[in-house]
Amino acid sequence: MTGWRARHYVSALANAPKVARFDQPLRRLEGVATAIGLHRKMLRKPLAGVLHAIIFISFFVLFTATIEAFGSRLFPGFSLALVGGETWIAGLQDFFAVLMLIGVGLALYQRYVLRPARFKGSSGSDAAIIYVLIVLIVGSLLFEAAARILGGADGSWRPVASWLAGLLGRIGVPAQETQEICYWLHVGAILAFLVYIPGSKHRHMFLAAPNIYFRNLEPRGAAPAVPRDRENPGVDKLAEFDWKQQLDLLSCTECGRCQAVCPAYAAGLPLSPKMLITDMRDALAAGPSALPLVGGVISEATLWACTTCRACMEECPVEIEHLPKIIDMRRHLVDEGRVSPGLQDALSNLTRLGNSMGKPSKMRARWTRELGFPVKDARSEPVDVLWFVGDYASYDPRVQEITRKVAELLNAAGVDFGILFDAERNSGNDVRRAGEEGLFETLAQSNIDAIGECTFNRIMTTDPHSLNALKNDYRHFGAAFEVLHYTALLAELIQAGKLDLAPVDGGKVTYHDPCYLGRYNGGFDAPRDLIRAAGYTLHDMPRCRENSFCCGAGGGRIWQSDDGVAERPSENRIREALSLGDIDYFVVACPKDKVMYTAAIDALGVADKLKVLDIAELLVPRPTRDTAPEAAGVDII
Amino acid sequence: MNILVVLRMIPDSAGELQLAEDGRGIDREWLDFQLNDFDDHALEEAILLKEGSGATVTAVAIGEGANRVLQMAAARGADEVIALQTEDDAMISSRTIAATIAATARAKSADLVLCGVQSTEDVFGQLAPYVGALLDWPHVSGTNRVLPDGAGLRVTQERGAGVAVTYEMALPAVLGVQTASKAPRYVSGSKLREASKTPIGRATLEPSGFERSAEIRELRLPTQGGSGEDLGNDAENVADRLVAILAANGLARK
Ligand code: SF4
Ligand code: SF4
Repeated sequence: MTGWRARHYVSALANAPKVARFDQPLRRLEGVATAIGLHRKMLRKPLAGVLHAIIFISFFVLFTATIEAFGSRLFPGFSLALVGGETWIAGLQDFFAVLMLIGVGLALYQRYVLRPARFKGSSGSDAAIIYVLIVLIVGSLLFEAAARILGGADGSWRPVASWLAGLLGRIGVPAQETQEICYWLHVGAILAFLVYIPGSKHRHMFLAAPNIYFRNLEPRGAAPAVPRDRENPGVDKLAEFDWKQQLDLLSCTECGRCQAVCPAYAAGLPLSPKMLITDMRDALAAGPSALPLVGGVISEATLWACTTCRACMEECPVEIEHLPKIIDMRRHLVDEGRVSPGLQDALSNLTRLGNSMGKPSKMRARWTRELGFPVKDARSEPVDVLWFVGDYASYDPRVQEITRKVAELLNAAGVDFGILFDAERNSGNDVRRAGEEGLFETLAQSNIDAIGECTFNRIMTTDPHSLNALKNDYRHFGAAFEVLHYTALLAELIQAGKLDLAPVDGGKVTYHDPCYLGRYNGGFDAPRDLIRAAGYTLHDMPRCRENSFCCGAGGGRIWQSDDGVAERPSENRIREALSLGDIDYFVVACPKDKVMYTAAIDALGVADKLKVLDIAELLVPRPTRDTAPEAAGVDII
Repeated sequence: MNILVVLRMIPDSAGELQLAEDGRGIDREWLDFQLNDFDDHALEEAILLKEGSGATVTAVAIGEGANRVLQMAAARGADEVIALQTEDDAMISSRTIAATIAATARAKSADLVLCGVQSTEDVFGQLAPYVGALLDWPHVSGTNRVLPDGAGLRVTQERGAGVAVTYEMALPAVLGVQTASKAPRYVSGSKLREASKTPIGRATLEPSGFERSAEIRELRLPTQGGSGEDLGNDAENVADRLVAILAANGLARK
């Protein structure tokens, strides 16, 4: 019956497009072991993690009782007594039965008393049914043992059951009948549980391990390419998702951890990564219907709300991949030309001019004019570091100052660097994540060609988004560059003694981890090292490093309107920084962040309390004879 | 219905305009060119008509970057695309364009010619009336809605103060499109890539047959008079300066 109830899913998975997830078995197993054995992600929420671990372990111990219950009647003479069924196993069962009840008690307390917001939208009945079934199974187990002891069995390994036997004796229930009733109650509840699982979120008991095993082992920053045998770039039917994407849907535990960290959800936009998964799962269970997937099961507004910050995937304990699904469905919308006016403008500008602002390519390197020294054209002379500047850093007047600051720091450290001038195009990172794969390919190919003409050792980017595209996405075209963020290069220069800073007696600052530098590419430490090297005290916000909260600009969101936003993620973040107390500066390491957070501070009217500074603005090189600031305006190279 | 759409490439106004050496034109060498926005709407209107009533659409593009724009037109649904061979670095007058378009319209047996109502190089909107006159077809400019109506069209034209007029027009006709009935659609990069294989036809400019009636003597860029002041782009300074200026002129009190 259990199998029958799961038949839809089995056939859906069997007919789904293929995807290679069978390589590196050891690494896969290791991941399963840490995720399940150590409950690594689960324990990030201590109460939920501990109670889940209790229920999880108790389940395995009590499974021995299930074996006994079924074995003893199906195969007369079957018993675990030989391996200790009446001694240490009985003791363990007795102990873990109580522990299980404590676990369920904690779960009840969490779900009905604490009621965390992340459960909003999860199935309440699924949760309630499992509590009742567990209590029934464990209760009947204990009472059956108690009745057996009452009937004269040895109770020395079962203190709890013995105590219950005492109670039963005092009430004067007949031992034999009670044992029989409890046995059938126990077996019946287990069977009900088994039948019930495939249609409920408790499927995860069977699917969590395989789903984690078959997780994506590619670099986090590489968006999945469009499979070659797919007819259209996007996905508009559940059946077009490969089997792992579909397995994801079935594995969701409805824990809501993803929803709790989602900036779009927090902003009041109609996107909950949890409901994204469960809505698709329910559609998969319901079978073919008239409702289209994109714009029906999942609304367009939901798809466009995502900033592609990756917080949901980082948080999901069963390694569900939300983003590939969102990107694939966006690809469908883009292919059909269903994009918002703001996005259309940006994408059209990118198609025409290679930048989202609609500025001429020839103005890309304009910021260099106000530098006191010339910047090398990497297309015409070899350089050590090829600097991929990025759109905002090149064109936005508010960010150009920082760009020049970075150039001055490189110059002070004697770095031999150059840029691509008007040959640079937008890296395509967010174009790709907005679902515009074709345009991404055009932009990427153009950059790869331009970079291919240059002689250099390493690439440095200002923008974490460009960093991600050049480092990860461009591999899709066989381009393997050594790419680093300017914070990493500057930290390296300080380490090597090439950049000599004049540290100040700076105040307290906090630092915002950009999604595409931190969560995507692990760049957590270099920015922090720089802040300290500059003489400031770093006070991290509660949501930092892997758990950083997105500014709200990524994945093409910056090109779209704020319609429907109750609270901008950037303002939410500034309030978090303010809650730390006396922080002077909100330090950022992404050009977009300077723009986003300055606007957020203005909107909140707290410009007198907090100021946004890029890390480059904190760093002051020690004046030397030939690079004294007074010398600015003189050619140094 | 056979529709002919005119797509003119114009200098990107976001670029820096500089005068040519003789002072009679702008230096086009360093400029980026883009499709005239109104022509983009004309193209969209043509495609909408095609979708509504099964027309064939021929797009003719003029100027630097014509091929790129024609691929885009093909991706959006144009059946045939033609690039007019022109001298780079020179502005072509609407009169010359009109002569070529009229000839092409005849050659392609077009019964509807659509172009943008104006462009930065045709601010007086002369192209559509010229084409109409050369073909001796009726012409309406400033349209914001065009619908197939039996053998003809229902055309809505925008007038001032929110007034709109609707015409019933017999074909053949020439329309100067202000806005298409629906905003121009987005074409995805993958569709553009596919369309990049579309063969692009070539045509040469027809002489207009007109005598030159006037000549440009001098072109001037707007000069910064003494009345303006650049306050820069630092929000705080700008705000301070603004307040100071308003106060100094007695328009506000601090
Ligand atoms: S990537 Fe970020 S914005 Fe998108 S669904 Fe996940 S948590 Fe929400
Ligand atoms: S997707 Fe993952 S994190 Fe989100 S509710 Fe499901 S199991 Fe929990």
